[in-house]
Amino acid sequence: MCNYYKIAGLTVKMDTYGTAEERARKYICGDCETPDIVVVSKWEKNKKLLPQISDDLGEYLSTGSDFYRQLLDFNGMMLHASAVAVDGRAYLFSADSGTGKSTHTALWLQLFGDRAFILNDDKPALRLENGVWYAYGTPWSGKHDISADIRLPVAGIAMLERAEKNSIEPFGGFEVIQRLFKQLNRPMDVDCREKLLELLDRLLSDVPVWRLRCNTSPDAARVAYKSMSGKEDV
Amino acid sequence: MKLKEGFVLREVAGYTVVVPSGDTLDLNMMISLNGTAGFLWKQLSERDVTESELVAALLDEYDVTKADAELDVKQFVGKLNGYGLLE
Repeated sequence: MCNYYKIAGLTVKMDTYGTAEERARKYICGDCETPDIVVVSKWEKNKKLLPQISDDLGEYLSTGSDFYRQLLDFNGMMLHASAVAVDGRAYLFSADSGTGKSTHTALWLQLFGDRAFILNDDKPALRLENGVWYAYGTPWSGKHDISADIRLPVAGIAMLERAEKNSIEPFGGFEVIQRLFKQLNRPMDVDCREKLLELLDRLLSDVPVWRLRCNTSPDAARVAYKSMSGKEDV
Repeated sequence: MKLKEGFVLREVAGYTVVVPSGDTLDLNMMISLNGTAGFLWKQLSERDVTESELVAALLDEYDVTKADAELDVKQFVGKLNGYGLLE
């Protein structure tokens, strides 16, 4: 079904089906102008290469990957992270799949109750607009459709690691560049990669990045929040 | 010798960073180059050069002895070969 959507502040035209179409429904805009982005799924072309993936999942991943590739033209990119909103700001937790991003942000929901919600549980869009980095919910949010159609300024990003004790510290040096880069959408052509590095450079100068070592106790959320928000207590 | 095509070099947060593009290499790969290495990389990505041309370029650009420049070039070229980055 072909529709116009408002995603990450942009008018998006997309003709899709199944999960991709279902999850995009809450982003439909009735009265839309010329699209900024026309999403072209490459699934029909690529499906022969990936026979183990269903059409539904393939289409969902392909539309997402095309959307995020074109988002680079609008100073935006995807960070593989669980993004939780508290008091109107977004806190992003990034790591390889299976490390416990969603487990950690679930602790934030417990700790903050009504003050918190999940902005996007797996693939938030980040956009630099008028000098401010915003995180957006999008239709592409991983296994579960946990995402909100809203944008919030980014308070900070934490690279999450499992540990017995909870600790957090500012994360810098070459290692943070490598670690963050690995969790971004990475289209393969030269122009996109140049743009991605340019945006990563801006992101690292504008947004605090932390190394969070944490367990799954409620204290983990408290430790992370105090440093990332700059507040004394929750 | 010349670098393989398709690498992107850019300053990120004060580091000179190189990443591959296209679909032939590991897309997780990222290299950080120090000043001399970044300079040599640029020479190698622009045209086909010999080791002695690289040494000459280093001597032009930096205040180093010939022996140090030769050692730098040898080590850098050795590393690039080790990673299979030269054509």
